[in-house]
Amino acid sequence: MVDYWNTMILPMLEGAKMTVLLFIIAILISIPLGFLLTLAAKSRVKPLSWFAHTYIYVMRGTPLLLQLLVICFGLPMMPVIGEYLVLDRFTAACLGFILNYAAYFAEIFRGGLLAIDKGQYEAAQVLGLSKWQTTTRIIMPQMFRVALPALSNESVTLIKDTALLYAVAVPELLHFAQTAVNRDFTIVPYFIAAAIYLVMTLLLTVLFKWLERRFKFE
Amino acid sequence: MALMEVSNLKKSFGELEVLKQITFDIEKNDVVAVIGPSGSGKSTMLRSLIHLEEVNGGSIRVDGDFLVQDNTYAKPQDIKKITAKMGMVFQHFNLFPHLTVLRNLEIAPSLLKTESPDAISRRCQDILQKVGLSDKANSYPANLSGGQKQRVAIARALMMNPQILLFDEPTSALDPELTGEVLKVMKDLAEEHMTMIVVTHEMGFAREVANKVVFMDGGEIIEANNPEAFFTNPQNERTKAFLQKNIK
Repeated sequence: MVDYWNTMILPMLEGAKMTVLLFIIAILISIPLGFLLTLAAKSRVKPLSWFAHTYIYVMRGTPLLLQLLVICFGLPMMPVIGEYLVLDRFTAACLGFILNYAAYFAEIFRGGLLAIDKGQYEAAQVLGLSKWQTTTRIIMPQMFRVALPALSNESVTLIKDTALLYAVAVPELLHFAQTAVNRDFTIVPYFIAAAIYLVMTLLLTVLFKWLERRFKFE
Repeated sequence: MALMEVSNLKKSFGELEVLKQITFDIEKNDVVAVIGPSGSGKSTMLRSLIHLEEVNGGSIRVDGDFLVQDNTYAKPQDIKKITAKMGMVFQHFNLFPHLTVLRNLEIAPSLLKTESPDAISRRCQDILQKVGLSDKANSYPANLSGGQKQRVAIARALMMNPQILLFDEPTSALDPELTGEVLKVMKDLAEEHMTMIVVTHEMGFAREVANKVVFMDGGEIIEANNPEAFFTNPQNERTKAFLQKNIK
């Protein structure tokens, strides 16, 4: 039993740690980046707005797995600059997830902004608030509230998408489960992996439910 | 000199002329009721005064300073200073739903540092008491009735110490039984000599509280007079027709 624990569960928990770490890094960077993209897409500076729209279109319009392959294996093969683009696998994976998820979060925030009544901007204007004060004190908190359910959904997807790292040989949860399946010729590790994913998504769901209650404004 | 002078104001949305040569003066302590059918340009006129709409011609002068002079707007910094002399109350309240009543009142003065925090919180208490909502200070707008929301909106505008208060159909979004509490607050303000311009469908308010009534139709001021003369002896045919339809 102790043996089994040591050879199977421990490596899988080690893999789960990798998954959680990647999730935290990706979400902490891609949410603010997504918000900046939303602002850029709405900007009156045309090239900035075109860049943001194109970026969102490309990132949402191509498979995440393809993007991960390009970052991990494609970039180092580029002529001349390729040799400077060899990233360690984990960094490359983080980069891939951040760039991809920022595009999805940008769309979520855009929806949140659309939900805010024009009267909110007008009220802020007649009270003399600056554009910056209006954005940070009036618009962003309301946008965040509207975006929460979609953010929650997207975060759960992110947890599960980390399994794509299996394809670029980052030693995450699924990698260790598959190794154990091959070695011991049993499917139990799959179920253990499923259970670990479920625990992670449960924690995430509980966290977001709490946030939704906290930001109910009633 | 009048507190507000508006002359030859013009505004179009594309082909549609919504304001044609609007001219009027507002004296200090005036309570002006602006009435007229929907689409007559009343709201657009009011919104132009506080720069929520840009006009295409004419002048607006507030307390001696031009917001716009012969279709040329003041510099952005000056526009801010001039519009800060006015407060606005909207038809749909436009309270900030993520802030409590107290924070709705405090947010602008505290961000703009117009007064010390102590003075701000003291005045919050006073003004909430005046609109009869001291017990709602920590409620969110979602938990208030329409009449309460509009009274908070008036309180929020008062926090900025405006010289002129603009009301854009303040009771039109309310259930009939809730209009009274809002009109009462506005009547109290009139008695304290607040200068007010009120776009309204409340003929009773126009008649009893206002000292001037302005009738607009088709983007023009058709008739302006004191309420007594306006309601008992209207001069223009369009005014007569409107009053016949709107007063039982």
